[in-house]
Amino acid sequence: MLNPAARTQVSTLIIGYGSPIRGDDAIGPLAADHLARLQDQGDLPDGVDIQARHILTAELVEDLQRAERVIFLDAAADSEAGRVHCRRIGPDARAPSTMAHFHDPRELLAWCEALYGHAPEAWLITAGGERWDYGYNDLSDSARAALARMIDLTLQQVRSWAANAAPHA
Amino acid sequence: MSRTISIEPVTRIEGHARITLQLADTGEVEDAKFHLTQFRGFEKFCEGRPYREMPALTARTCGICPVSHLLASNKACDDLLAVTIPPTAEKLRRVMNLAQLVQSHALSFFHLSSPDLLLGWDSDPAQRNIFGVMRAEPQLAKNGIRLRQIGQTIIEILGGKKIHPTWVVPGGVNEPLTEAKRDAMLEMLPEGLAIAKDTYTFYKTLIPKFQAEAEHFGTMPTLFLSLVTPKGNLEHYDGVLRIKDAEGRIVEDKVPPSDYQRIIGEAVEDFSYMKFPYYKPLGYSRGIYRVGPLARLNNADACGTPFADVALAEFRTLQADSGPIASSFHYHYARLVEIIFALEMMQRLLKDKDILNPRVRARARGNRSEGIGVSEAPRGTLMHHYKIDDAGLITWVDLIIATGHNNLAMNRSIRQVADAYVNGSDVKEGMLNRVEAVIRCYDPCLSCASHAFGQMPMVIDIRDASGDVIKRITRD
Repeated sequence: MLNPAARTQVSTLIIGYGSPIRGDDAIGPLAADHLARLQDQGDLPDGVDIQARHILTAELVEDLQRAERVIFLDAAADSEAGRVHCRRIGPDARAPSTMAHFHDPRELLAWCEALYGHAPEAWLITAGGERWDYGYNDLSDSARAALARMIDLTLQQVRSWAANAAPHA
Repeated sequence: MSRTISIEPVTRIEGHARITLQLADTGEVEDAKFHLTQFRGFEKFCEGRPYREMPALTARTCGICPVSHLLASNKACDDLLAVTIPPTAEKLRRVMNLAQLVQSHALSFFHLSSPDLLLGWDSDPAQRNIFGVMRAEPQLAKNGIRLRQIGQTIIEILGGKKIHPTWVVPGGVNEPLTEAKRDAMLEMLPEGLAIAKDTYTFYKTLIPKFQAEAEHFGTMPTLFLSLVTPKGNLEHYDGVLRIKDAEGRIVEDKVPPSDYQRIIGEAVEDFSYMKFPYYKPLGYSRGIYRVGPLARLNNADACGTPFADVALAEFRTLQADSGPIASSFHYHYARLVEIIFALEMMQRLLKDKDILNPRVRARARGNRSEGIGVSEAPRGTLMHHYKIDDAGLITWVDLIIATGHNNLAMNRSIRQVADAYVNGSDVKEGMLNRVEAVIRCYDPCLSCASHAFGQMPMVIDIRDASGDVIKRITRD
């Protein structure tokens, strides 16, 4: 759907973000791209919207307010290389953004809550990176292994929600 | 005792900067400086790279205005190829440039400056932020997000991604426009135009409240530099350079962008990594000029689209005399006029049947050793100038960035605001916020503008009249 205003409600929004030219920072968008290919093959439940982004920008609030849940996928510089971690996050207006044109996911959730009175349930799945050199989608070995675990963990979550939401026979 | 007040970081701008105010023993402002505290060095590390890499490299100067660098850089590469790009490619590049303008101006007005404009410069700083705006004017905040989304989505439809799109290439663009993409863009524009007009109408009602700011926020005689069309109208992509003086006299007109070095010089000061461009015939620093929305509207004879021309006529009544609008405060007003223009012009370009023409790229190898590309970024005139060797490798780069052109003006502006509002014996937060706010009028992009080698102290010492350090502030 080329016009974002025409998008409908979704049960799950997945946003993988990071720079494709800074080594392991590419892990978020690469995970999102892989999940999108699985979706094209019919391997994901209905009602899932997947986006790969360089940075989190304010207009994503429009997508957040249409989603019941959101999973953010990102690399982590303060985590052991290759370690995949999943945690609940919530709206936080004080979450720091260093520049005005991109945001921390918690700040974005706070924007959504302030403007629309609600924010989706949110999870942040991170993979520890070790290399941030200039390249293009050039992951370290540990990040490449973590990418697969990140994708598996996301799929588990999304499929589990869909199964819980399905009406019982 | 004399002392220095340091405002760091300057908030709600793009990039990192510091302002220092030097107070005399009497508490009056003796000096004020705007320091760019980050160094990027694109002009040096691009040397040795193939010229075809320059658009991708320079686009990464900035995440807010990558499209601006993409366009100016590709225009410089077009010059190196010695090609005239197909007319459809020019129209498509214009659409992308205008979409960039919409999203960038929307960020500046709705998110960076609206807390001051709507909540007041003296309001509680804990509330004087985008969340305060959301509480006070939620629809305005939503409108700002939607306008940004429209601009960014058009960039993504054209270029494949919102940040660092790669569709613009030397010689034109990579692929023609499809009907579906054209229709998707056209579908969004009426809503964007309605938001822009509503915001403009609302903002006009606020103007009477800002008489003091309009008087003191960078109200000074300067020249104004911008591109204009060959007929003298508002221009953002191509055209010729025009300079008007503070009385509205045209001092330079129909200057080919390739001739910019005749009229623009660059100086360096030791307190900032940002260069200080100036109008050469008047020398440094008498040759102070401003660029960006204020300059473009002051220089243009007309916008050329219906509602924007109505707004331009109203803009010209912001001061009593008929000369160029002198107050930098009215950059905010000019931005809203330009958003309207950009949306109207995008409608016109996309309704042109030629926009679907498949001929969108001229191909050639390097045919010149020097290429210059000039366009109007949201913040002002952007100049890319490259020299290459016989192998097509870059030997020299000069980038004159929109924000850099305004460097002299920003420094003078903070001095003016500090003189008017800062009382050294009783420094209130609202006073310092106004000093920051005048910088926000220019909507500087400091990530782009830092190219000068300089010396930048990372520690701020406040000394008393005896020279003893009474306070030290260090930057992490």
